[in-house]
Amino acid sequence: MKVTFPHMGQVYLAAKGLLDDLGVEVIIPPPITKKTLEIGTRLSPEMACLPLKINIGNYIESIQRGTDTILLSGSCGPCRFGYYGVVQKEILNDLGYDIDIIIFDPPDTGYREFIQRIKRVAGRNSWLNVARAFKKASIIVEEADELLEIGLKKRAREANSGETDSRLYAFEREVIKCYGSYEILETIRKYKGILESIEEKTGVFPLKVGLVGEIYTLIEPFVNLNIEKKLGRLGVEVYRSLTLNEWVKIHLSLDMGYRLHHRRILKKAEPYLGLCVGGHAWQTVANSIHFSQNKLDGIIQVMPFGCMPEIVAESILPRVYEDYGVPIMTLVVDEMTGEAGYFTRLEAFIDLLEQRRNRTGEKKPSLSGG
Amino acid sequence: MKIGIPKALMYYTYYPLWKYFFEILRCETLVSRNTSKLILDNGVMNCVDDACLPVKLFHGHVVDLLGEVDIIFVPRLTSINPGEFICPKFIGLPEMIKSSIRGLPDVLVLDYNAHKNIKNAYMAYIDTGKRLTGSSSVALKAFNLACSKQREYDRLLKQGKTPLDILELKREHNAGNYKGVVGLIGHPYLLYDQYVSMQIISKLRNMGYRVVVPENIEDACIQRACERLPKKLFWSYGKKLLGSGLTMLEKRMVDGIILLSSFACGIDSFIIELLHRYNQRQYKIPYTLITVDEHTGHAGFNTRLEAFIDMIEWRRAHEGHLSPYGASVSGG
Repeated sequence: MKVTFPHMGQVYLAAKGLLDDLGVEVIIPPPITKKTLEIGTRLSPEMACLPLKINIGNYIESIQRGTDTILLSGSCGPCRFGYYGVVQKEILNDLGYDIDIIIFDPPDTGYREFIQRIKRVAGRNSWLNVARAFKKASIIVEEADELLEIGLKKRAREANSGETDSRLYAFEREVIKCYGSYEILETIRKYKGILESIEEKTGVFPLKVGLVGEIYTLIEPFVNLNIEKKLGRLGVEVYRSLTLNEWVKIHLSLDMGYRLHHRRILKKAEPYLGLCVGGHAWQTVANSIHFSQNKLDGIIQVMPFGCMPEIVAESILPRVYEDYGVPIMTLVVDEMTGEAGYFTRLEAFIDLLEQRRNRTGEKKPSLSGG
Repeated sequence: MKIGIPKALMYYTYYPLWKYFFEILRCETLVSRNTSKLILDNGVMNCVDDACLPVKLFHGHVVDLLGEVDIIFVPRLTSINPGEFICPKFIGLPEMIKSSIRGLPDVLVLDYNAHKNIKNAYMAYIDTGKRLTGSSSVALKAFNLACSKQREYDRLLKQGKTPLDILELKREHNAGNYKGVVGLIGHPYLLYDQYVSMQIISKLRNMGYRVVVPENIEDACIQRACERLPKKLFWSYGKKLLGSGLTMLEKRMVDGIILLSSFACGIDSFIIELLHRYNQRQYKIPYTLITVDEHTGHAGFNTRLEAFIDMIEWRRAHEGHLSPYGASVSGG
């Protein structure tokens, strides 16, 4: 069995660590490029959302490298993601690929099925081994997110511009050669130290911008056209709302403290949206309020074109702006998004935030120069 | 009290229930006018750009009711069958309306959620009735009476009528002589909105074709047809469309299938894909997809419809006379 999985930001680190530890042969799909997107767009339904198309691209590129099994997580609606597995399997079938897709739906739909599917992947590993591997994978997720967060802080303050990105690039090149969760973790920790030691400019007060929106778009840099990098280079400190680590903590771990914290943030959305409409719309609204209360300078919502839950959030966000006064911009990405226009909008938004801050004079003017 | 019912989204499915329910509770109801250019424009102006046409239309119909009613009825249909949903936008609809439209009167939200238990959903009506009259026993009685009216409506639909025939046209269409049968698949809020669907039902009938719609298919058949899916389909309308489409194909009820979808409909994007692939593999019945949005023009629409009908007719006339030379003349 040669296993692959779709890309989503740092997922590949945890997935590789997990599968390596279980002794399953794993093929990491090549990094997402324009070509991946092209393959995906050609083979997928026209109106499907962007993540599905990129997943298909990932699969095909992995299949060309010899994969025979695909792992995918699932859900039970109402967001379309819950039906990805079925549609993708039909597409691959019609293309003539004989591929297994193992979908991990949340266990509340039936523990037996869930356990059986884990067994199919884990093979002859003992349950203790499986549990240990999962635990390690969750540590990888946590530390990888911490690494990226150090990057976000550093990028807005680095003395030599581009240094953070070149270190992170080196990290990606190195970590891909690792085997097993131990080596991956070691590499992450090493690069955490390297990032921490990047020299900072003094007297810089970066603008603070929060990112909210659909989780895949937020986490996968190719899809959001490297929004974190772009903002960082403009001298903006980025705050992320949805991270992999958070997702794991809420959905897979038993960390009650964190769940309570999460609920408290969700509660803030009550006057605007008091229930789950699928996807992460509720979180989008709640986190926008959370960011506004914490005096961020601006908020950017990112979503794929046609994302059903985020459209609900998008129509509510103007009211959050009215009540809290923190500007919110929505960026929609799809396979047609051009980088130049996208960047112009980002720049304009940041200019606006900067002028706004200078006018209100709440904080010292940014020395980052812009 | 005058309750405004927007003529959009689930209106075509539940109007009898709503109408009688409110009437028995001695509330006056006012339905917004038929969709027109004005209503569509109002909807587009008052809604986020990325929303789909039906949701924009709903906004337009709410705007149409402004100033004429005391309260506007906005159902939140989270789920109409246990374990299923309709669409995320249906769940967030009241919030979308409240944050997008200025000068809104009171909004009567019906929290219909049968996701866990169908009884919770019935309670929504009782609660709504209680809010209007102050008595839950009166509400329960009204709900039961209204339900019987709704069942009558559903029974008429199963006999082959379309909601349009019952709610709007009110006259019998000539069901006697027809050249063939066309399966018309789409969400009720598209198919039966005369403006958005460009009167597709009347046009097909005028061309001499009988129309079969998802509402005509028995629920049991839909359920059975959907069992071939490896995973339970969790959208009630997705299931209805796919199940009725598969039933029409399996039972050879139709000469062709037309899918009417609104641009960027998330659920349709998957349903259409699956139906299309199953049809290609197994049934090979003429099939077309017509996508409408707020810009669709009549001319292009008619051309596609006529071309499709021509294709069905040619197929019927010449199917047996294809040259045996070359393998895939019929695209197989």
